[in-house]
Formats: sequence, C-alpha cells, structure tokens
Amino acid sequence: MGADRAAADLEQFLAERGEPLLRAAVLLAGSTEAGEDLLQAALERLLRHWRTIEGDPEGYLRRTLYHLAADNWRQQRAWRKRLRLLQPGAGAAVVDGTAEVDLRDSLVRLLMQLPPRQRAVIVARYWEQLSEAEAAQVLGCSVGTVKSAASRGLRRLRELSESRGPAERAAQGSARERRS
Amino acid sequence: MSTELEQRLRADMEQATQGVRIPPGLALKAYRHQHKRMMTTRAVTAVGAAAVLTAGTLTVAGATGGFGRPPGGQQSRTTAYVISRVERALSAPGMTKVIAYTQTWYPAGITLQPVPGGLNASGGPGGSSPERGEYELLWANLHTTKQSAFTATGQRLFDERITIGNGSLATTVVDYTSHTWWTTQSARPAVSGLGSASCLPGGGIRLTGGRNAWPDFIRAQLACGAYTVAGKQVVGGVDALKITASSGPLTLWVNPATYLPMRLEAGGLQTDFQWLPPTPANLAMLNMPAPAGFHQVPPPASGASNG
Repeated sequence: MGADRAAADLEQFLAERGEPLLRAAVLLAGSTEAGEDLLQAALERLLRHWRTIEGDPEGYLRRTLYHLAADNWRQQRAWRKRLRLLQPGAGAAVVDGTAEVDLRDSLVRLLMQLPPRQRAVIVARYWEQLSEAEAAQVLGCSVGTVKSAASRGLRRLRELSESRGPAERAAQGSARERRS
Repeated sequence: MSTELEQRLRADMEQATQGVRIPPGLALKAYRHQHKRMMTTRAVTAVGAAAVLTAGTLTVAGATGGFGRPPGGQQSRTTAYVISRVERALSAPGMTKVIAYTQTWYPAGITLQPVPGGLNASGGPGGSSPERGEYELLWANLHTTKQSAFTATGQRLFDERITIGNGSLATTVVDYTSHTWWTTQSARPAVSGLGSASCLPGGGIRLTGGRNAWPDFIRAQLACGAYTVAGKQVVGGVDALKITASSGPLTLWVNPATYLPMRLEAGGLQTDFQWLPPTPANLAMLNMPAPAGFHQVPPPASGASNG
C-alpha cells in the first residue's frame, strides 16, 4: 500500500472521527497549535501500532492523547519554572494569556493552571463525558484517582474562579495608577 | 460538586473549541513523520546487522506503507463505538437534569390536538406532498413537559403543560384559537413516556406521559436493530454523524463531540434536539401562565393516542 493510499485512509478516519479528538487535544494541550501537534504525535503512534491494535482505533488514539499530554505538560512545567527564575517580576497569580490566546473563556483558561493529571481528568469527565471507570481506563489509573483528581480539580477551579475577579481588578487598578 | 460550575466549564470548553477543525494534510504529515522514523530505525538496524554478518542480503526497503488493515474493516467497530457513545451520552447521570428542547415538524395534513396526558395527531399526510404542516416546540425535564403547537405559518395553536405527580398526571392546556384554557388530573399510565418499548415502524412515536422520555425512546430504538454510521452531514452548523437503521424508517444525527442526538427522522416526522442546562431562564420555559382574558372550560374526555 502506497504512502498516498495510507495517508488518504488516515485522512478519511480523521474526517469522520477527528474533530472531537482534536477538540479534546486542544483542551489538553492549551492551544490550537499545541493541540494539533499533540494529535499528530498520537496519530504517529497509531500508525506505529496499527496492525496490533485490537478494537476501535479511536479508543487507542484517545488513550495516547491523554498519555502524551501528560508528558508534554511535565516538560512545559519544567520550562515554566526556569522562565520564572529569569523573570522574577512575573507573579504566579498573573494569567499567561500569550500561549492560550485562542482559549478566551475564563474557566478554560483557568483549566490550564491545573496540574496535568487533574486537567486530564477534568477534560475526560466534563468534556468527553466519560464515566469515572472509563476515564480511569483512558488515563491508566484507578477509579479512586479519577474521583479525587476530579474533586480536587473542580475545587481548585472554583477557587481560581472566585479569586480571579478581585485579582484582575487589582491588576487593572495598579496599571491605571502607573499610567497616571 | 457544583453542577453550575460543571455546566459553565462545559459551556466554556464548547465555546473555546468551537472553531477547531482538522487542518488539511495532518494525516499526511503524521504518516510521513512516522514513515521517516521507521525507515531510519530500519536503516540503522540493517547497517548494524550488515556489519556483523558482512552480507548484503538484508533489505531495508519494502515498507508496506504502515496500514495492514483497510479502514473499511473498522467500519463495524466504528459504528458500534458511536452507538455505544450515544447510548452512554443519553444515559449520563446529568441527563436527568437537562432540559430537552425539541422542534418537531409534522407532514402536511396532520392536525395536532391536546388531550389529557398528551397530544393527538390526527388526519394523514396530504397525498404525496412533501410539504411541512404543523409543528410543535417542546421543553421537557424529568417531571414537566411543555409543548407549544403552531401552524405551518407560525400561528400559535395551543400550549400544553403536563406535570407528573405521585401517581397522577396534571395537564393544563391554553387554546389560542378559542381563547380558553382547561386543566385536569388523570391517572399516570403504568409506562409513561414515548413508547420506549416499541421498535419503529411497528410502535410509532407515542406522545404520552409527562417526562423527558426522548433519551429513553432513542436508546430503545438503538437497541432494536442494526444501524450504520453513514458519514457526516451538516445539521445546525455542526458536522453531525448520521446514523441510519438498516431496516426501518429511523435516521439519527448526533453531535460528534457530545454524541447527543441533534436530529431524528422517523415515520415522516422530523425532530431537532437541543439539550439545555437547567438554568433559571431555561426552566422558565416550562412555565405556562394562562393569558389574561382567556376563560376556563371543562377538559375533553378523550385520552392520548399515537402522535
């Protein structure tokens, strides 16, 4: 089978089933560009194991997405720590809006501040609407871990959401003072 | 857990990823990248082996192209997967709180009439005319259903609200043609809902009961027979997955992101779905005050039958 045929087959698969996966990838990775990269990496793994995959390939692709996302986040987190050392003025409470310009909605932006595991659980449970058992299977962890991560993630989101209003107003006020 | 927070989160996620589309060439990029990696690995292996064996018999070429199985072989699995996701989406615990908002179009010639506990659709399609006739809007949650019927030109005919109580159904109807309203209590049917035990075409869609039974009805139909995912079709601006019954008149379009039904066509009826969060504004759609100047009349005696 030639490259064109193989790629065409994969294009067809993506055309039929790709969009929800890409949307999940965007939420997992934090931006459209990063989501596309994440999906491409997962597709490469799918191709690598295509012959040995039992059952629906979408399930395999979904699991791979979540696992890769966790890896990427770990790397990004390490980079963020290094950047913070170089930029002592950048407060932790300030939301970084540069990488997530296409994720304008408040809770989605706050979602990017959660640890990778919590974010993955939140996306699996509340975007993909997977049950706790299904989310545990996708993420390769126990149901208890899913429960606790979802609970902690939602609590953290609520805290961030409640504290965001006053913090943003304070930031805007100090900016006005600096201008005057 | 905060239901409101979860709903906001879902809504924000939906909005944030609304414009996301698969970029053209993504599959080809993935294939080429993977192929290059594979060839590099094989080349390294071959060089190492050749050095040991000092023989040039190993072949590094001849890659099969990656796909050992044609995608057509995945079709049945994909269909089974989609059906299972639809069933799961309809069975999700949150669905008990969701308000189903539907718009159903009836064939021309059908007349809708409110009766205690439901709705009667009488008459027959006017010849072979594909024209649409009356339509009804319906809001339904677990205990309350409100439906508003209109003529094909949009003139309001009546509103009907059915509430499930302990062992009884309370029906209230406001008739806009006669400027009257009536209310009545009736015994709750043993099996309320949209004829969930029946498989089309034998059963038909039975509009009785006062609960949001669309999920039950669709689940029951999906359990009835063989279905096929017949590609995608744009419904309400979304590339919906089209699911057709191998035998029978039912076609269902589902949202590829949530797997919730977006449109259903069965027996000449077309129903469009929206699944609304139970916000105060959406819950208010279930209210039905009698307009000033309307006078109360006794309820009709007949019960609900097929719609």
